[in-house]
Parts: sequence; C-alpha cells; structure tokens
Amino acid sequence: MDISRRQVLWAGGALSTAALLTGCSGDGESSSDAAGAGGKPRKGGTLRVGALGRASAITRDPHGTQTNESDYLIIALLYDTLTAPGAKKNTTPRLAASWKSSEDLKTWRFTIAKGAKFHDGTPVTADDVVWSLRRLRGTPSGASRLPGIKAENIRAEGEDTVVLVSDYANAELPLLMRLTTFVLKKGTKDKELGKAPGTGPFKLDWFRSGNARLVRNADWHGGEVYLDAIEVKIFESPQAMSNALIAGQIDLASNVGSVAARTAKKRKDIQIVRRPDDMAMPIVMRTADGPFADPKVREALRLAVDRKAMVDQVLSGYGSVGNDILGTGDPAYDEKVPQRGRDLAKAKSLLKEADFDTSKTYRLLTTEDVPGLAESATLFASQVREAGVKVEVVKQESATFWDKTWLKGDLYTTYWGTNDSVIFLASKTMVSESAQNEAGWKSKEFDAAYREATGGKDAAARAAALGELQKIEHDASGYLLWGVAEGIDLAAAPVHGLPELPGYGRVQLEAAWLAR
Amino acid sequence: MAGPLSGTATASGTGVGGKGPGPGSGPGAGGSAATARRAGRAALSGALRLGVLLARRALLLAVLLAVVFAAIELLPGDAANATSERGETAADLERRRHLLGLDQPVLTRFTDWMTGLPSGDLGTSARGESIAELLSRPFPNTLLLGGLALLVTLAVSVGLGCWAALKPGGTADRALSATATGILALPEFVVAVALVLVFALWTDLLPAVTLTDADGSPASWRMLILPVLALAIPQIGWNTRIVRAALADEAKAPHVESAVIDGLPRHRILTHHLLPGALPTIAAGIATSTGMLLGGAVVVETIFNYPGIGSVLAGAVADRDSPVVAGVVAVTGAVITGVLLLADLVRARASGGRV
Repeated sequence: MDISRRQVLWAGGALSTAALLTGCSGDGESSSDAAGAGGKPRKGGTLRVGALGRASAITRDPHGTQTNESDYLIIALLYDTLTAPGAKKNTTPRLAASWKSSEDLKTWRFTIAKGAKFHDGTPVTADDVVWSLRRLRGTPSGASRLPGIKAENIRAEGEDTVVLVSDYANAELPLLMRLTTFVLKKGTKDKELGKAPGTGPFKLDWFRSGNARLVRNADWHGGEVYLDAIEVKIFESPQAMSNALIAGQIDLASNVGSVAARTAKKRKDIQIVRRPDDMAMPIVMRTADGPFADPKVREALRLAVDRKAMVDQVLSGYGSVGNDILGTGDPAYDEKVPQRGRDLAKAKSLLKEADFDTSKTYRLLTTEDVPGLAESATLFASQVREAGVKVEVVKQESATFWDKTWLKGDLYTTYWGTNDSVIFLASKTMVSESAQNEAGWKSKEFDAAYREATGGKDAAARAAALGELQKIEHDASGYLLWGVAEGIDLAAAPVHGLPELPGYGRVQLEAAWLAR
Repeated sequence: MAGPLSGTATASGTGVGGKGPGPGSGPGAGGSAATARRAGRAALSGALRLGVLLARRALLLAVLLAVVFAAIELLPGDAANATSERGETAADLERRRHLLGLDQPVLTRFTDWMTGLPSGDLGTSARGESIAELLSRPFPNTLLLGGLALLVTLAVSVGLGCWAALKPGGTADRALSATATGILALPEFVVAVALVLVFALWTDLLPAVTLTDADGSPASWRMLILPVLALAIPQIGWNTRIVRAALADEAKAPHVESAVIDGLPRHRILTHHLLPGALPTIAAGIATSTGMLLGGAVVVETIFNYPGIGSVLAGAVADRDSPVVAGVVAVTGAVITGVLLLADLVRARASGGRV
C-alpha cells in the first residue's frame, strides 16, 4: 500500500484533506467558483444546510440504519470514521491517520490520528475503536459494513493501534470501511446516543426532530474548522428545500436533484454544485436464467440503447454516458475500454443469432424511489423497440419492488450511489457469492480477477487484475449502465469550500466557509 | 335566498360530514334537534345522552382503528421489509419480523395495541421509537396550525357571510357567493403552491418554508402565515357559503320577519335575530371543517416543510408501520371527536335556549 504521500499531507497540513482536494479539482461550471475563486478561507458564520429526511425514520445511532440524509449528515459531522472518501485516491485518512496490511493482506493495522479527542476532552484510545467496531459488527448490516471481519478478530494493540484480521486476503478493506466505521466512546449506552460525545469536526449543540445545531470543535484532530456552526434542517421534499434556498432561508440544499438545478440555473445568486459520478441507475438483465441468460441478448440490448439521449432526457443533461462498468468515479476506472455506442443492425443480428423471441413482450420492472428511475425505464423501452424488442414498463410500489423484484427479476432498474469504487460494486453485486448479486451472475473468470484484484501478491498484479475485471464486466455482466447521474447541491453565493465528491462524500462539510 | 345548503341545521350538518376526508367526520356528526331540545330540559338525561354519545364516538374510533390496521395489512410488504436496509439477509428480516411481532396474526397485534391505548401507551414504531414520543412534538404543531386555520376560517367566513347577508342579492352578496364557490373547489396544494410563488419567491414578503427551533416548534410566527392561509382559504370558501345559507334560512323565520316589520336596524336584526338561530348550522360547518383541515394539513405540511404530523403519517404508511398510523389516527380522531362534541353541545344549547 502506498500511503506515504497521504501521511505527509496529513501530518503537514493545517488544512483537512477534503479542503486540499476541493481546492485542487476545478471542473464543473459555477462549482469552481465555490471552491477556487473565493479567496482565503474566512473564519466564522453559521451554515444552514437543508437535507432530505422523513420524520418517521429519524435515527441517532451512528451504527444504525440511516435512511435519512439529514441524520447521516449530522452523524458524519459529529463522529469520525476510520477512513473517508477522497478524490485522487478514493480512500483518505480520517480518525485513522494511517494503515498497513500484512504481506498476505489479511491482517490490517490502523493507527489512530495523533491528538484525536472526544468532545468531552478524553483522548481516543484503541479500546474505544475496538468497542465501536465490534458494536458495528453486531448490527444486522454489520457483516456488510465490515466485510470478512469477525467481531473476535478486532482487537487493540497498545494505545493507538487497532488490528483487524480478515477471513480472507482483502486489499480493499480500508475502502470498504469508509464512512461506516463511526467511533463512539467505549461503553456508550443506547440510551445515551443522543448526547454521546463524538470525535468529529463539530459538537452537538441541540437536536430536535431531525433538526440540529452543531458548533465548531476547536480541538478537532483533522485540522482547522472555519464555520462557527452548522444548522441542519430536515426536509421531506426536494421542492420545499429548493424553495427555502431561493427564499434565502438556508444556505445549502444538499442533494436536491436536477429539477432544482434547472430552476436555479437562471439565478446569479445561487451556485449549482455538480458532483459527477453520484448515482448509477443501471438496468439489470438476469443472467442466471430467463430470456436474458444468453450473453448475446444482453449484448444486443446494450447496443440498442441510445445512451446520450438517456442522459439528456432522463437526467436533464446532468450526468455522463456510461459504459456498462459500475464504479465510474474510481481513479482505477478503465477509460481504455472502448465506449459502447448504439448499433441497431448489430443488435438485431445478435438477437437473431440467439434465437430471441421478439414476438413476446417483456416486462421491465421499476420504482419511483429516486428521481429519473421510472423515466429511464420508459425511455429505454421505446429505444429498444427500434431493435425489435417489445418492453412494457411496470412501475411497482417501493416496498413491493424491493421485496418481490430486486435480486429476482429478469429485467429491472436498480440504483447505486457508490460510484467511486469498481471493487466495492464488484464485491457487493457481481462476485458469485455476493449477497446482492442483482443479476444472478456467476463467472469463474470474474471471480478469479476479483480475488487477484483484492488479494494479489503485489500492487501491479492487483491493478492488472482490476483492469481484467472491468473488461469482463463490460463484456458479459448483467448490467446495462447507460449513464451516471451527477449529484446536485444548490448553495448561496457566499458558501465556499463545499465537497465535490460523489455519493456520501457530500457530507464532508468540515472545510466549508462563508464569505460574509 | 336559496343556497346549496338550504335546509335544516341537521341536514346541512350531516351533508358537510360526507365531504370531509378527515377521519371521524362520519354520519355521527349530527344529533337530532329533537333529542337536543329534550337534553336541554333535563340535565340528568343530558349527561346520560352525552355519555352515550361519547361511547358511540369511542366505538366508532375503535372501528376506524381496526380498519387502519386491516388496510395496512392489505398493502404489499410489511414493516420489517419496508424498514430494512438493502442487503439485509432473509434471516435478519425474519428475526426482525419476530421482534416486531409481525409473525402474529393481525387481530392479535391489533388487540395488543388497543389494550395499551387506555393507559396512553401508543406502542413502539417499527424503527424502535416510542410512538407517544414520536408524536409528542409534531402533533401539537399540527394542532397549532389547524387551530389557527380554524380560527381564521371562523372569523373570516362569519364576517363575509354576514356582510353578504346584510344586502341579500346585492353586488357584495353575488360576488362573494361566486368567489366562495370558486375557492372551495381549489385543493389545498394549489393554494399552497400559489402562495409560495407569490409571497415568498416573487415578492419575498414571507418565508417560503417553516424551519424549526431548538424546541421543535416553528422558529418564527411569520412562518405560520402561509401554511395557515393555504389551509384556511378553501375552508373559508366552504364555510362562507354555509354561514350565508344558514342566515338566509333563518331570515324566513317568523320572529325575524316580525323584527323586519318592526323596523329594527339591519345590524341589530343580524346580531340579535339571525345569528343566534344560525349558530347550530355554523357550528356544525366549522366542526366538520376540522376534519378537512387536519386532512389538508398532511399535504400543506409537506409543501411548507412544516414540522407536523403529516410527514410522520406519510412515512409511517411507507414503512407499513400500523401502530404509528393507528396512533396518528387515534389522536387526530380524538381531537375531531372532541370538536364535534363541542359543536353538538353548542347546537343543543342554542336550540334548547330557543324552546
């Protein structure tokens, strides 16, 4: 693992990593103003942030199920995880200043950042981290948040080192632990969670019904925090959130979506922060059995889709064309795999070769869980009709969809937010034994490439395997990834230093500052 | 003279009840004027009747709650499923299903929940929160919103109705009648969106959404104006017509006609002869508006991000969380029942006084 450069950055920088990274990246339109042209960060001010959430789903448990963005945002500002998402390297240090693995990639040693303290002033010890990780492992989704790590294989070594022993070689463990491994003080009781001290850049002032006020933690180990306070406001609808921003009642509307961006486009006083590679909405074609089991049929559908039109119409242009490989935001994403375009003639001939029954109508199942998902299905259906495939779109109510269709259907839409990692999505959805193998895909070559990419002897071999893995995914998997949506935040003009990372990277607000 | 609501107080009272989307506003809304008169005479039989009325309302509420449980049972999926995280295994789900008691028959779950109700125990949500606690802040907020909207509705519609009744068939009367009909046909969300556009986004006069304070209530009274208006405006249209029609009905009464012949001033006839007689109808109209106001609040709260019961209810339905939905229905139903009862008492008193 090459982490020395990061360690230097970490040790020497008064700025947090996120601040450095946002300072470096300058693509996107007005977003570059947000990060770059604002001048020197200024101290002070209260940032009012709107975030989506439902009153009935409010949770305060950092190890619980956070379906509300508002809850997750509050938790991510109060508590630190061991590792966090980054831009150039997609895993950066947070509470763990550095980490090192054994030769066989099974034993991992995480060193706690120097000077890391809880909000009540007590230093963070390895015992606290071990206790927290074991608590996390004990939750229903603990197995997927700490993959391959049994609770008894988490232990402390001295004051500042935590040792994790994996059941199998796993080069990507630090990546798979990003943004889930929140650390609480050892022995924190469930009842105390509402007031439990964290180690994060902000301390809790008050919390009420999903709304919270957080104040600066001047002692944060991760660097200087500029804002005096962050007020988090829970919003049920993106529409109300964008109204609040336009009316000046909040300064940042987090993850508000492309519709709001279209509204805000004409206004000079509002920045549109575009975070590329935020959400993939692939179409899943079942490979295990059914009408799409033949790879030729899947290839034909991939060739029948007009990707550019999908991005333009479904995402209002706020997105990029996909190439059937999930994890587009990964620095290791293979740009060299040729982009698949539309080829109706070839699609038709492949369907004929596969003896595909074009007289039948196939059902494409979808939900309205995220904006654009159902629309993508409808547009896809009209596009593949030109290749002779009749598709009828069936919208299912969310609970039914996840119960009856997901992981089982022949043809359905899905969505994933973790597009900064090829290996994450491979491990969750494509390796033969993965619990969320959406397309029922089993490929010996893919599994072999995955094992080599995560457990290979040296970095070069692992990188080569990662390339091979993507090639196989592009050619044969059950996914049709037509495009990737950008995440869109709206912000008032004085807000600077906002994160531009996809997915949950958007909660890293510790580097934000206000020019007023 | 003639309005869509002409007729006796009892008839218009139950007629209004039919439109209300709110729970509890059923045909039980009106009592017969005859029994009310008798109740006025004997205090003992009045108390008895009140008891019977209360018992009937409570029974109605219980039936309603059973329907809520059954309806959620009929929706696809269950609470364990709806609140699960993507990737939870079947075994995890089964364990949670058992924990939530979802492996029990719906009747058992319903009776379990109902037996806790008298002691104020509303049970636990699928996400493990105490439901009483879950509703403790949003519900008073919704009551505040609905209560203010009710007051505004009452004041404005009585005012407008009287104004129109002062000169029957005059310009104001005809204009008000037409406008009221137009307004009562507008759904709350149309009114709400228009109000936000005009008063918040274009002119910047009022806040677009409601933000909450540290104590969970709206941070400023100005944030209440638009939601209250959005709720009240359709109800004002409705109640103005009721008030106007009730006054018109009352104008036909002999004692009013004799007052007119005696040459009493118009406003005196209005306050001393017309209004007291029209009171029962007005009370019934306003009472039934309570159901519609609380129903409309669910929609209006979403648009204004108002921290009320609406978002809790919407989320609970999505979560298939029957105890939470039933809890919301129980407290809302109790409030509506209370208001209807109050209206009944007003009517009993008004009609009793006249006999």
